[in-house]
Amino acid sequence: MDFLPLTPAMFHILLALADRERHGYHIMQEVEERTEGSVRLGPGTLYGSIKRMLSDGLVEESGERPDPEMDDERRRYYRLTDFGYRVATAEAERLARLVKSARSKKLLSRV
Amino acid sequence: MYKSSQLSRSPASQRLYALMLKAYPAQFRREYGPHMAQLFRDCGRAAESHQSPFGLVRFWLIIMLDLVNTAPKEHLDNLRKESSVMNNLRRDALALFGCIAIIVVALLLLNYGRAHQVSSILLLGYALDAIAVTGAIGNFIVFLLVKTTKLNPLRAALWTFLIVHAVPVITLAVIGGSIDPQFRLGAVVMGYVVSFVFWYGLHWMWALTKGNRLAGEGGQ
Repeated sequence: MDFLPLTPAMFHILLALADRERHGYHIMQEVEERTEGSVRLGPGTLYGSIKRMLSDGLVEESGERPDPEMDDERRRYYRLTDFGYRVATAEAERLARLVKSARSKKLLSRV
Repeated sequence: MYKSSQLSRSPASQRLYALMLKAYPAQFRREYGPHMAQLFRDCGRAAESHQSPFGLVRFWLIIMLDLVNTAPKEHLDNLRKESSVMNNLRRDALALFGCIAIIVVALLLLNYGRAHQVSSILLLGYALDAIAVTGAIGNFIVFLLVKTTKLNPLRAALWTFLIVHAVPVITLAVIGGSIDPQFRLGAVVMGYVVSFVFWYGLHWMWALTKGNRLAGEGGQ
């Protein structure tokens, strides 16, 4: 697949959108929480990646607002497309194979 | 002493970030600038809530590094797009030149075939003539239809080429004999049939290749 390997930022964004649609700040927060603060996406990285992912058909804008009363109308929500889901799965499998190789070379302990 | 909570929410810091956004290409800024500014405000608010000047320093450091890292990338992306537009223009110019060259060769062949009464050369001349004329007109119409409507490209090509081929054949069948005493309807029809098969076949193969490529991307 031409898209693999994904950039770390793109993979983190796909992971953030895997369970629900989110707007930019939510994506950023989710990534930061999930990585315990080790990955912080800046505005340029986030929207630059989103721009590419939109044009590649990995994500799409969502017209729905999960909580319209609590939210600013100007925020754009994004969600995974079916193709984006397949690409994220393929990247996760690719990384899992890499980790397996690292384990076989005893670079990683079995946890 | 400044109040740290004012640093990223103050109009001055927002103006500064708006100024920093000018480092990005105009089109990117128009599309994502307001959302990036919103994100800047949200993140600034979160950094301030930690009540630590280091938090705010870290926040500005991330913003600066992000800008330095991503603004050149967006400009490069833009340049790549422009170069792809230039490549398309070059390809279109080449196709147009090809059509003109085919028309010239077709006219030369027709003249030679008529002067020397060589029917095979005449037939080739009619086919090339039809390919060049219908190709220039038909492909232009298909291009416009595909760009301006949501029609299926292959179906648009089928109907366009059917009409573009049928109209001259019918017209020539009606008035050809009265214009040119050496006019041969059979050869002209044969030429247009060859031309239709050629152009529709090309579009069909192109659609097939494109479909396979997309299926490959989607299925992998």
